Amino acid sequence: MRHHALSHDPMALAAPGRAVIGPAVRFVFDRFLLLPAGAAVALVWANTAPEGYYQLSQLLAFPVNEIGMAVFLALVVHEVFEAIMPGGALHTWRRWLLPVVAAMGGVAATAGTYLVYVGASHETVLAQAWPIACAVDVAAAYYVIKLIFRRGAALPFVLLTALATDAVGVLVLMTRPRAVDVWPGAVALLLAGIAAAALMRRLHVRRFWPYFAAAGPLCWLALYLGGVHPALALVPIVPFLPREPRSLELFAEPDDDDPLHHAEREWNVVAQVVLLLFGLVNGGVILRHYDTGTWAMLSAALVGRPIGIIAAVAGAVACGLRRPRGLGWRELGVIAMATSSGFTFALFLATGLIAIGPVLSQVALGALSTVAGAALTVLLARLLHVGRFAER
Amino acid sequence: MRKWLATAAVVVAAGTWAAAIDALRLPKDPGSLKFAVIGDNGTGDRPQYEVGQQMAMAHDVFPFELVIMLGDNLYGRQQPEDFVTKFERPYAALLQAGVPFYASLGNHDDQKNRFYAGFNMGGERYYTYKRKTVRFFVLDTNLMDPKQLSWFDEALQASDDLWKIVYFHHPLYSDAGRHGPDVQLRVALEPLLVRHGVNVVFSGHEHVYERVKPQKGITYFIDGSGGQLRKGDMNPSAQTAASFDQDQTFMLVEVAGDELHFQTVTRTGRTVDAGVVARRTIS
Repeated sequence: MRHHALSHDPMALAAPGRAVIGPAVRFVFDRFLLLPAGAAVALVWANTAPEGYYQLSQLLAFPVNEIGMAVFLALVVHEVFEAIMPGGALHTWRRWLLPVVAAMGGVAATAGTYLVYVGASHETVLAQAWPIACAVDVAAAYYVIKLIFRRGAALPFVLLTALATDAVGVLVLMTRPRAVDVWPGAVALLLAGIAAAALMRRLHVRRFWPYFAAAGPLCWLALYLGGVHPALALVPIVPFLPREPRSLELFAEPDDDDPLHHAEREWNVVAQVVLLLFGLVNGGVILRHYDTGTWAMLSAALVGRPIGIIAAVAGAVACGLRRPRGLGWRELGVIAMATSSGFTFALFLATGLIAIGPVLSQVALGALSTVAGAALTVLLARLLHVGRFAER
Repeated sequence: MRKWLATAAVVVAAGTWAAAIDALRLPKDPGSLKFAVIGDNGTGDRPQYEVGQQMAMAHDVFPFELVIMLGDNLYGRQQPEDFVTKFERPYAALLQAGVPFYASLGNHDDQKNRFYAGFNMGGERYYTYKRKTVRFFVLDTNLMDPKQLSWFDEALQASDDLWKIVYFHHPLYSDAGRHGPDVQLRVALEPLLVRHGVNVVFSGHEHVYERVKPQKGITYFIDGSGGQLRKGDMNPSAQTAASFDQDQTFMLVEVAGDELHFQTVTRTGRTVDAGVVARRTIS
């Protein structure tokens, strides 16, 4: 069992990488800070020289959003896959049950708040963006909870809640028809890609890249021609990749000689470069384009979701489910608030579900603004005296 | 009886007859295409009715054959009765005279409104139609999806009409304070407009009137004060040719040969801008 990469602990890029990159760069990589860095550059650029920014953004949108992001999404799904397999930190349905209930409550309340807001504003064209309001930035939620609680049941609880929530977004992304003509042979192409991955698994290929190089293009083409967002292209391959169970909080150094760990570090670096570009391409929104969609996103994520999560957990507890040990209502309140940041995943869903134009601008601005949820979580923890702010 | 009631409703809602348009500055060429322009109009409030009344009076002296709508055709609730109070009554006189309205969708419009017969959209978010020497292209800029973009490119390519006029809700150039230009849309649309010889673009969204100096050969108009008004919102810049932000307005346009004549009129009948745009040719 080894460290879960979703926790991005300082050891995640250990060994060969450590020798060549400085501590500052490693800090940025380990905490997935390249995406916010890219988004910050984009935000400044778009608000000072918008024409140049949008020309570059338009040029890079397809390769980054529809091809590059496949590498990142596959990494996330791979991490989740390893965590939920036998021996993994998130294994057993018992651990999932309450977070899933919490997530569903959160999704219902977030979507409800968002739809009521845009409905009351009579801007129904914004209604289709409700899944974006529901998105949770897994890394942001994890880091803010880790900052407050350091260890204990809060970490797996927030991770599971965030992952279950984002599964809804992925489902919408997979099923919502895109404005393209669908090619009927796409399913056959997808099956060919999966068969190629299965064959490599059978041949005990221990590196990831051969899977991506051989099966990836087939699956990507299949999804693209089939009218499904092609950034999900590597997801069907993930179950065939070499893997081993992961723990959440072990800070043990991975075995450097293990080709699996080495390959995963390479994958992580590539994914983060993609995230930098993703932030750069999609993070540039004109600040004065804030409008109903922005406020609806913020209200739904910062108010609707925490209330929905708490209400769902309260309902589940009333029905006989137990709260995880060490998590009182104050702690659960802080955890619920920690899921309010949609940032990365919200931005990804926004670019995947909404065409360019003012609707996307408003919603993307809302998605970026939900980072305020992280600061509000720390503030709430301080007010409620939980975690590191508990009175001793 | 229904006609009489509708006319009476206009009079009651407007409260008083407005003064007639001060002076018509359009050539009134017999073979020309004459049309009117309104945007951000569907409030159902008194100023909208007054604009509608002024348009009806203008129609008596300048018989325009259609009205183009730049989006936000209905604000607030959009139930069947709202189509009456926010569209059919304010423009009752024009509708009774058989003047068709061709709408584009704004951010406040329910996307289902494209099926409303009075907007003549044929159930489409984006569409094209031709009158005399002019082909109009109507876009839905709320969501500029790749399918719409490629449709627009192909429709422009297929058109060999003398004049190509495009209208949609969100402006590509603007000096108004609230929203400003949508540069992301501009980067997507402007290359097509330039390449295919579009002459004039009309938009709304900003609740003011603005005429932008020709950009890459194209003249841009914003007229988003057909019902709404954001007083004092204009910040004219070097690219502003003319602007007005003190009252509700509509436009009268006449395309005669190689010239497009325009006149912008307030709800009280005052002319705030007028001029001529010469047709540009592409090499």
